[in-house]
Amino acid sequence: MIEFDSVTRTYGAKVAVSELSLSIPRGELFALLGPNGAGKTTTIKMLVGLLRPSRGAVRVSGHDLVGDPRSAHLHIGYVPDEPCLYDKLTGREFLWFIADMFGMPRDRAEQRIAAEIEHFELGEFADDLAESYSLGMRQRLVFASSLLHDPDVLVLDEPMVGLDPRSVRIVKDLLRERSRAGMTVFMSTHTLAMAEEMADRIGIMVRGRLTFLGTVADLRARSLGAHAASGGQEVGGQQSSLEQLYLELTSGADATPVGKGSP
Amino acid sequence: MTDGVSPPSPTGCRLTGETEESRILLRLRVLLAQATIRSMVTTARLRLSLVILLSALFWGSLYGLFYEAFLFLDSLHAEVISLLFNAFFSSLMVMLVFSTGILLYSGLYTTPEARLLLTLPARSDTIFAHKFQEAFWFSSWGFILLGSPMLVAYGVVRHAPWTYYALLLPFMVAFVAIPATIGGILCMLLVACLPRLRLHSLSVAAGLVVLGIAWLGWSAMAGARADTMSAAWFEQTFARLAITEQKLFPSWWLSSGLLESASSTTSTAPDAAEGNALALAEALRFLALLVAHALLLQLLAGRLAQRVHRLGYSQLSSEVPTRRQRRMSWFDEVLSRSGTQAGRPLRLLMVKDLRIFRRDISQWSQFLIFFGLLGLYFWNVRSFNYQHSYAAMIGFLNLAVVGLILSTFTTRFVFPMISLEGRRFWILGLLPVHRDQIVWSKFLFSFLGGLVPCCLLVALSDVMLGLTPWLLGIHEVCCVALCMGLSGIAVGLGARMPDLRENSPSKIASGFGGTLSLVLSSLFIMAVVLVTAVPTHLFLAREGIAWSSPARSGLWASVGTERGVLAGLAVAVVLGLIATLVPLWLGLRSFRRLEP
Repeated sequence: MIEFDSVTRTYGAKVAVSELSLSIPRGELFALLGPNGAGKTTTIKMLVGLLRPSRGAVRVSGHDLVGDPRSAHLHIGYVPDEPCLYDKLTGREFLWFIADMFGMPRDRAEQRIAAEIEHFELGEFADDLAESYSLGMRQRLVFASSLLHDPDVLVLDEPMVGLDPRSVRIVKDLLRERSRAGMTVFMSTHTLAMAEEMADRIGIMVRGRLTFLGTVADLRARSLGAHAASGGQEVGGQQSSLEQLYLELTSGADATPVGKGSP
Repeated sequence: MTDGVSPPSPTGCRLTGETEESRILLRLRVLLAQATIRSMVTTARLRLSLVILLSALFWGSLYGLFYEAFLFLDSLHAEVISLLFNAFFSSLMVMLVFSTGILLYSGLYTTPEARLLLTLPARSDTIFAHKFQEAFWFSSWGFILLGSPMLVAYGVVRHAPWTYYALLLPFMVAFVAIPATIGGILCMLLVACLPRLRLHSLSVAAGLVVLGIAWLGWSAMAGARADTMSAAWFEQTFARLAITEQKLFPSWWLSSGLLESASSTTSTAPDAAEGNALALAEALRFLALLVAHALLLQLLAGRLAQRVHRLGYSQLSSEVPTRRQRRMSWFDEVLSRSGTQAGRPLRLLMVKDLRIFRRDISQWSQFLIFFGLLGLYFWNVRSFNYQHSYAAMIGFLNLAVVGLILSTFTTRFVFPMISLEGRRFWILGLLPVHRDQIVWSKFLFSFLGGLVPCCLLVALSDVMLGLTPWLLGIHEVCCVALCMGLSGIAVGLGARMPDLRENSPSKIASGFGGTLSLVLSSLFIMAVVLVTAVPTHLFLAREGIAWSSPARSGLWASVGTERGVLAGLAVAVVLGLIATLVPLWLGLRSFRRLEP
């Protein structure tokens, strides 16, 4: 469903993403972890067609993001880290605009808009101008718009930022439900706990390279193995050693993000 | 597949056709426009009324000015009107290329909307067309506001038939589309080919072209100093402007088409009717030429957008931010270390604002361009060789212009400063700084920042006009009062009516508070200039060195004395103090109670 084929992305002399080869099948919930400046946002921007790889190719549902971006976009829903809305449109008008851009038939669009408004509890303010929305409301509306066309692939950049606990729960339940129904989810996050709770597989990116790829169980096994090999005492349980391994994997990797808009 | 219409997927989605996509984006524009108008009518009535009123006043004044000018030229130099039209439209053409290019740069590459549209299954050429319409509107309304009174006045003077007026709008729209599209094409090529130079190269090039045009204009006017406004002066000037009469320029097609359509007569004689039909046919031929080129360029721009828009967006995002180490400049060091310990927080706040100003290209480049152009004008003002009777009044008008330019800066950049500080209130709120010091630091920053260039400009103007030191002194005192009052109004109202939710300075400045600040600033400038200019003029008239005859008795006679001039100056200073202290007092009171 998602395919990164030896993808490299440079910013001048700096390599932001190096030789990334990754394949994510249908229905998988994949979490990309890494410290600031690791290349997560660059990877996501290439996945949604905002950035072109310097080398290699990115494909979604078989469509190349550079060669055939429109067809690829038909299969992608994208929730950016900073939600973009038209302040002078109401939430409902915004959803109609998105449905129209995806060429949805009127009756189908009407049904989907009503369903998403209900799902994300937007009904109370769906007819207010977006300029009056709080960050959490804006984020919920962007979630609703990204799912409107039932995409095969949902791309999320730091999805829980700005959401209240109830909205976080709604989003988590929805991601599980949709991925069970066959939607592929690709999300970037700083939070190990979030990845651990949600992801089928995780990737850890450090300085543009994928340094770990596997399930949380794989990471835990590696963590325990490393711990046993060093002969250390179990201090804070498994959770602590998992976190410890993650920190070790990414230690000293905090770098200044490169590229406009990188977090 | 890239441009085609796809069959619906199992989820009902499909790639939309080009016409359908354009219709969706048009509907979006209509919805946004409706919501904007509704919100302006309900929340910004003052601003809307002022914009309409001032536009009508501006239009009416320009119409009157052009009407008189065309009457004069029609009787003496009718043949030069074509040259004037060509010079005017070719200058506008160059400016439209740059203004649309800059607007499209922002619309296509840097706005969140561009990012949103590029992540939807939208065509690049449709995105270009959507953003082009916006840039086209923003860059052409000024042209229409400036050009329409001139063209209507010309039609009235020439007794043009109704067809002339009917063709005005199509001519203007078709003409504007050409430089606007060229601007768009240049912008896309520049971003795709030279991403690292991007806005800097565009703004530097635009600044250089504006200065170049201004320089050309002035040198065209400046050659014959001794013969100003004489027939020889006109001939010399027009010979220099002949460069604008190139037949390949769209400005020539526009001028020729308009002149042809105005040349019809209202006579009903059979030969006149035939002549009219020929003139109209010729005008329509020029209109067709403009429309055809506009459409061809649109087609080319659309094709280019398909090829380079996404590429350019990606290239632009590849720019590595400059990581130059920024050390404290000697000036910042001196400012932060000098003075008393008690005043240090205030000075540090000023240093912070100074650094932000220096590092924000949009602020200092506009400051430089406007004051640079004004300096250029003042430097060349001696070319007109004004008689002394005019010179004193021109000195006061120049003082008013300096004040008006400064007021646009204080409204645009100083007024929003407190609002922007409000968003970072958590930083300032935790510092051991009294809130009053924040407001005073903004005032001092604005006052001292405006004082130096304004006083220098006023001095330059007076020296070039050959005014006496006595008049120079009066102007400089007024200038200090203006700088002080304008800073007080902007900072005081900014603190009194902060907009803490908005983070765009331009949006803060265009709100109710910003509009009020601009209106009060304009009234203040008028008041200061009038209370000093009127007694000075009457005094000079009494002395026999101003053009009007002095009043021999009554109030005007007592005003036109040395004492009257000094009284006027004292009133100007008092006005300056009131304009400074009253808004600041209101602002300080409100800012102390502010709960972010």
